[in-house]
Amino acid sequence: MGRYVLGRLFQLVPVLILISLIVFAVMHLLPGDPALLMLAGAEGGAITPERLNELREQMGLNDPLAVQYMNFVFNAVQGDLGSSIRFQVPVTELILDRFGSTMELAVAGLVVAIAIGMPLGMIAAARKGGWIDTLCMTLSYVGSSMPVYWLGLLLVLLFSFTLGWFPSAGGGSFQALVLPAVTLGLLSAGVLARLIRSSMLEVATEDYMRTARAKGLPPRLIILRHGLKNAMIPVLTMMGLQFGALLAGTVVTETVFSRPGLGRLIVNAILAKDYPLVQGSILFLAVVYLLVNLAVDIAYGWLDPRIRYGH
Amino acid sequence: MTGMRMAVLRGGVASLALLASLGAAAAAGDLVIAVPASNEPATLDGQIDPYQSTWLINSLITDPLVIMAPDGTFIPGLATEWSVSPDGMTWTFTLREGITFHDGEPFNAEAVKANLERVLAPETASAQLASDIGPIASIEIDGATGLTIKYDTPWVTLLDALRRAPLWSPKALASAAPGDMAATLIGTGPFKFVNWVQNDNITLEKWDAYSGLTAISKAPGPVSLDTVTLRFIGEAAVMGQVLATGEVNMVYTLPPLFSDQYLGNSDYTLISKGQAGTGLSMVMNIRKPPLNDIRVRQALLYSKDSAAANDILYDGLYQPSDGPLNNIHACFWEGATTIYQTDPVKAAALLDEAGWVMGPDGMRIAEGVEGVEDGAPLTIRWSTLHHQEIGEVFQAQMKPVGIDLQVAVVPGPVQLDMVTRRDFDLMYLRQRSPSPLILDQVWNSKWDQPGGWSWTGFKDDALDAKLNQLRSVFDADERCEVARDAQKIIMENALMMPTLSQPIIIGLDAAVKGFEIGAEGNWFFLHNTSIEE
Repeated sequence: MGRYVLGRLFQLVPVLILISLIVFAVMHLLPGDPALLMLAGAEGGAITPERLNELREQMGLNDPLAVQYMNFVFNAVQGDLGSSIRFQVPVTELILDRFGSTMELAVAGLVVAIAIGMPLGMIAAARKGGWIDTLCMTLSYVGSSMPVYWLGLLLVLLFSFTLGWFPSAGGGSFQALVLPAVTLGLLSAGVLARLIRSSMLEVATEDYMRTARAKGLPPRLIILRHGLKNAMIPVLTMMGLQFGALLAGTVVTETVFSRPGLGRLIVNAILAKDYPLVQGSILFLAVVYLLVNLAVDIAYGWLDPRIRYGH
Repeated sequence: MTGMRMAVLRGGVASLALLASLGAAAAAGDLVIAVPASNEPATLDGQIDPYQSTWLINSLITDPLVIMAPDGTFIPGLATEWSVSPDGMTWTFTLREGITFHDGEPFNAEAVKANLERVLAPETASAQLASDIGPIASIEIDGATGLTIKYDTPWVTLLDALRRAPLWSPKALASAAPGDMAATLIGTGPFKFVNWVQNDNITLEKWDAYSGLTAISKAPGPVSLDTVTLRFIGEAAVMGQVLATGEVNMVYTLPPLFSDQYLGNSDYTLISKGQAGTGLSMVMNIRKPPLNDIRVRQALLYSKDSAAANDILYDGLYQPSDGPLNNIHACFWEGATTIYQTDPVKAAALLDEAGWVMGPDGMRIAEGVEGVEDGAPLTIRWSTLHHQEIGEVFQAQMKPVGIDLQVAVVPGPVQLDMVTRRDFDLMYLRQRSPSPLILDQVWNSKWDQPGGWSWTGFKDDALDAKLNQLRSVFDADERCEVARDAQKIIMENALMMPTLSQPIIIGLDAAVKGFEIGAEGNWFFLHNTSIEE
C-alpha cells in the first residue's frame, strides 16, 4: 500500500506542471495589464507611461515570459508561491487565510449531498417502479437542474428576508453556513441519488442478496449490511469527482452569500490579472483535488477487502 | 409523524430562528455598514492603494491635513490654516498642536514630512496618491507646526490630494512588516483599526483618546460610536434587503430599485446624493469610420433620450448628465442640456447627408462614404463595464433611425486592452470628482498615450489650451468658466455621449443619528454619529 501511495504522489508532479503551464499561458493570453488595471482603479489622475513602466518593473512584468514562469516554478517547489500583485502579501498567506472557509463550505455541501442524496436513492431503489421511486427521482432531477446562483438567491429570499431564520451574507457561524451548504449540496445530491439508486438495483440482483432474502433477513438489514457496502464503490468514486465540482461551485456560492473564501479570491484575482495569486490558488486547489481522489482510491481497499494495492 | 416528534421539530425550528435573530442584532453604539464587495480595498493603505474606498476607510482611522466639508469647501483637519503663493508653487501649512497618534507618538511637521516622502518614494509604489500630490521639489519644516511644500511648477490640486492622503505614525511605518495592516494603520483618527477578514469585514473600534479637534467634529473628545464594522456584500439583491432584515444598520450604497421599500418608512432614513464628475459617459473613438464623421456622431446624440431611459430603467431615480461634466457639477456647462435635444428626424437627416442611407431591412448602409465599402451596415459598438441596460434602451431608440447599436459588457481588463489598442466605437468612462481637472485627464490630447485617459483621438489646440489652463487658474469661479469653455468645444464636436448620473443612496436605520454624507456622494463622516437605543 505504501508503494502505491508513493507512486500516486509522484504522479502528481507532471500533472501539476501541466496545470501550472496552462494557467500561466491562459492568464498571459487574456487581455489586460495588471499594472494598468491597478492604476486605472483610481478613476482619477492621468497615468503616465513612465509610472506605468515603473510599476510593471516593480511587479516583474517586464521580464520575458519564460523567465517569469521559471521563477514561479523555482519558487513554488520551495513552497513560495510569490506575492500577490494586488494585495502585496504572500500568496500562500492569502490562500491559507481563506482555504478553511472554502473547505468548510465544500465539506458542508458534501454532507448535505450525502444526507439528501443517499436516503433518496436508497428509498427509490427499495420502492422501484412505484410512485415513491418516481417522486424521488423527480426531486433528484430538479435538484441537479437548478442553477446554483438562482437557487442561492431563492433560498436567501425565503429563509433570510421572509422568514429571517438565517443570515443572508457573511461567514463565521453555523447559521451562516446552512444556506450556502444547501445551495451547493443540492446539485450533488441529485447526482448521488440517481447513482445510488442504480448501484443498489444492480447489487440487488447478486446471488448473496438472494441468499439473504431466502434466509428471511429483514429488508432493512439486507439493504444496509449486505447491499449498501457493495453499492458504495462506484458512489465513492462519484463523491470524489463531485468534491471537485463542489470546490468549483464555491465560487458562485461564495459570491451570492458574500462568504470569504478561495473561490471569490480567485475570481477577483482573475479580474485584476493578479498572476501569482491566480497561479498559486489554482495550483493549490489542484493539489487538494488530486489528494482527495487519492484518498478515495485508498478508501476502496477499506471498503472492499478484495481490492488490495501494491500486491 | 407522531405528536412528540412534531413538537421536537417545532422546538428545534424555533430555536434556530431565535439564534439567527440574535446573531442579526447589533449592540447599541455598534455601527454595521453593508458595503459593496467591489469597494473592498486591496491593501487598506491609502498611500499605496488607488481606491476611493481605501481613502474613505482611512479617514475613519486617521485625520487628514485638510477636510472637504459636506458643502465642498476645505476646512481645517490636522492643519489649522494654509496659504499658497501667487505663483502656485509654494504651499504653507500651520499644523494643529497637541495631537498624537494611536501609539502615543506626537503628530508634528516631521511626521507629515515623513509621510509625504513615503508616498513619493518609488519603493512605496503609490499607484495614485503620488501622482495627485505631484512633483514636490522640497518639504521644509519650521518647528513642530510649520510646514512648507515647494514645487517647481504650479500645483493647484494639492488640497484635494491632501484631504485623501492618510498620515500614519512614522514609528509604526518604520517598524511594521509590509502588508501588516494592524501594525501599519496607526493614525490620529476617531477609530482604531482592529481586524480585516478579507472578503468579509473590516472592524474598527473607538479610540478613547481622540482629540475631536478637527473642524468636522461638533464637539471635542472621543466619538459616540463604540465600533464600526464594514461588511462586504457581493450580491445586489442582498444589499437591497440586508437593512430590512436588521443584519446591518446602514447600507452604502443601496441599489436604487430597492429604495421603494424604505421610502416613507419611518423606521429608515434614506439619503441620496449625486456624484459630481463625468456621469456614466461614453467616449467616442473618432479615429475611424463611422465616427470620424461629426454628422454621424451628432446623429447618435440626437437619437437618444436619456430622460426616457431614466424613467424606464430607474423610475426616474438617476440624475441627468447632459455633458462632459454632469449636471450637478459646479462647473457644468448649461448649454449641454439644449445642444442636442432628442430629434430623430434631425438624426436621420444628418445620416442621409453623411451617406448612410436607409437599407431594405430598416437599418442604414453606406453609400459613398469615404473609407467604407458601399452596402456596409451602420454598426456602432457600445462597450461598457456595467449599466448595459442604458445601452439597450438607446439601442431601441436608435433602431427607428436605422442605427445598429451593439451593446456589450466587457470586464475591466478587456476595457483597458480595447482602449490601449484604440479598438472601440463607444467606450464607457466615469470619473468622479468635484474638480474640473478631470476634463484635462479625459480630453487633453497630451494624455492620448498608453495608460492615459484621453481615448477619443481628437486633437485641437484651442481645447488643449483651455484644459492646460485648468491646472494654473486658482480662483474656483474662474476655473469653472474655463471648464465651461472646454465643455462647449467638446460638445460642439460631439466627442462623447452623456447618458445619466448614478446617485449614491445610503440607507440608515432610523436609530442612527448624526450621519453626514460628504460633498461627493462617495464619502461620509462618522465623527458626530451615534445610535439611539
